[in-house]
Amino acid sequence: MPRKIDIAEKLSQLRAFYQQEGRAPSYAEMAELFGYASKAAAYGPVQKLTELGYLQKSANGRIVFTSKITSQISVLGTVQAGFPSPAEEELLDTMSLDEFLVARPEATYLLTVSGDSMIEAGIHPGDLVLVEKGGAPKAGDIVIAQVDGEWTMKYFGKDNAGVYLDPANPSYSRIRPKSSLTVGGIVRAVIRKYK
Amino acid sequence: MDDRPLMLSSFPRAIAHVDGDAFFTSVEQAIHPALKGKPVVTGKERGIIACASYEAKALGIKRGVSLWDARKICPELIVLPSDYETYSIFSKRMFDIMRRYTPEVEEYSIDEGFADLTGMRQVFRKSYRDIAADMQEAINLELDLTVSVGLSLTKSLAKIGSDFRKPNGMTAVAGKHIHILLQRVPLADVWGLGPNRVQLLQKYGLKTAWDYVCRDQEWIKRLLHKPGLEMWHELRGTAILPVSTDAWRPVASVSKSKTFSAPSNDRDYVYAKLVRNLESAFIKLRRHQMCAAEISVSLRRKDYGETGLGARLDRAVTLPREVIPVVRELFARLYIAEADYRATGVVLSRLTDDRTRQFNLFDNPACLEHARRTGELIEQINRRYGKHRIFLGTGLNLPAGEGNDRDESCWRKVNLLPGETARKRIRIPMLDLHV
Repeated sequence: MPRKIDIAEKLSQLRAFYQQEGRAPSYAEMAELFGYASKAAAYGPVQKLTELGYLQKSANGRIVFTSKITSQISVLGTVQAGFPSPAEEELLDTMSLDEFLVARPEATYLLTVSGDSMIEAGIHPGDLVLVEKGGAPKAGDIVIAQVDGEWTMKYFGKDNAGVYLDPANPSYSRIRPKSSLTVGGIVRAVIRKYK
Repeated sequence: MDDRPLMLSSFPRAIAHVDGDAFFTSVEQAIHPALKGKPVVTGKERGIIACASYEAKALGIKRGVSLWDARKICPELIVLPSDYETYSIFSKRMFDIMRRYTPEVEEYSIDEGFADLTGMRQVFRKSYRDIAADMQEAINLELDLTVSVGLSLTKSLAKIGSDFRKPNGMTAVAGKHIHILLQRVPLADVWGLGPNRVQLLQKYGLKTAWDYVCRDQEWIKRLLHKPGLEMWHELRGTAILPVSTDAWRPVASVSKSKTFSAPSNDRDYVYAKLVRNLESAFIKLRRHQMCAAEISVSLRRKDYGETGLGARLDRAVTLPREVIPVVRELFARLYIAEADYRATGVVLSRLTDDRTRQFNLFDNPACLEHARRTGELIEQINRRYGKHRIFLGTGLNLPAGEGNDRDESCWRKVNLLPGETARKRIRIPMLDLHV
């Protein structure tokens, strides 16, 4: 299991060191500062802090503090006022997984699949499907429907003889409603969560 | 029949009232399609019916009837524990659908709301009646439940309309037809006329809403004051009550009461139950960012005799700890050692907005500010780890595991998806179907 590095703690230790010594520590000093037994152990935090822009490595391999540590204002845990960073601006027009999966939030429902009639369409027992109510199904849509009293999930289709439902499993055959067919919703997405 | 119209125009204003038909049970039937067409009630956790489906109503089973009586009428009655989370999701969806047709929607309660459609004809190129019908159909198709809609010139008339034909009804009353509707509506069916007012009006020979509006407005004002006069205008088609888009807040009081699992004469236990209600009442109060300046407590005995006492506070409070000394004293005065008790209750009243609270001259603001922050912290922890996880010490007198019996597990709470917890579930209703 990877060790967790408490960045906030390391930063405050490094800031305290800087205040006292006015310079960056060596690997040996850093190991002592962080309470590690060996110099090598300090390598991880240094890498991380370098990535985050708190540290730099000089040409001769020494560790140098950036202004993020030497400046007196702590940036950790506070939001600096001002213009949004370019990163934030770029994120303005992204969508959440919710928005990606759910086009019509008022009409969408969850359903856990129990049968295997759509297994070749990649819908397995235990999968979660997102079902949208209220729309009219088109040929080829996967629908949840009640046929002669029984609920089922199938491909929806139409021909001269009327409406039919096709399974995606060779062990089942095409269904034509004898007396009634109610479409309960159209399947818009399948979710399978591993663990 | 009187055929003098009150006005000649049709819809100078158009307000729709949308009312869910047997809302809780309709939601249950929507997520469990197998329950459609069957007598279903909710409220199992309380022992009293909170909502009865139309099939159950047809058998004479209504809201408020005890489950025991209901099962006598219909042994095969389907009794479900309330699933307020799912009802709330459906409620929110209903209002969201209404907002497709106008931005002015008032969420009046969990299952009913008003929509001001005035001016929307140009947008949809349809009559108000057709817009309201579209709204009704969208709710019907997407939520798989029915609502009854009233459309008229004022909230009061719209509300009468939605009640006029139920379930799945649509009653549109144009200005020039108001007089026809009012003559068919008994006083008791008018929104805001309680049994007392109805009896008073009947003493003067009034029977229908039409009799009411035919009276002189001075006469109405003398008898029922300003609210009566407002109603008189509303019923004549002049909108007085605005469609308010503000979030709902309790206006008069917040109350919590709970019946024990078994009657008790243990003083510490009864007091601990009272304090637990106090904490619950304050949680509700703070959720609406309000504070209370009056508190009353009540104790119900085994023989259903009830005693209560109230106290006016010298300032508005937001934390249970601030009123504990008062509550302890009220309890001491009410409690009789010989009696068995079956329930306690707390009512917080004289509510005001917490954000504009004033200190009195002798308060110590620093101390109160400290208490407020502690309160906020406790609230945060309880929100995260469960209601009453951190509680006042009196709660130690409650047996462990005597939790919130509202949590009698509904279907959704026992059918968790991987990663969902008892505290947090996906905000999408789950269908109970085998496919």
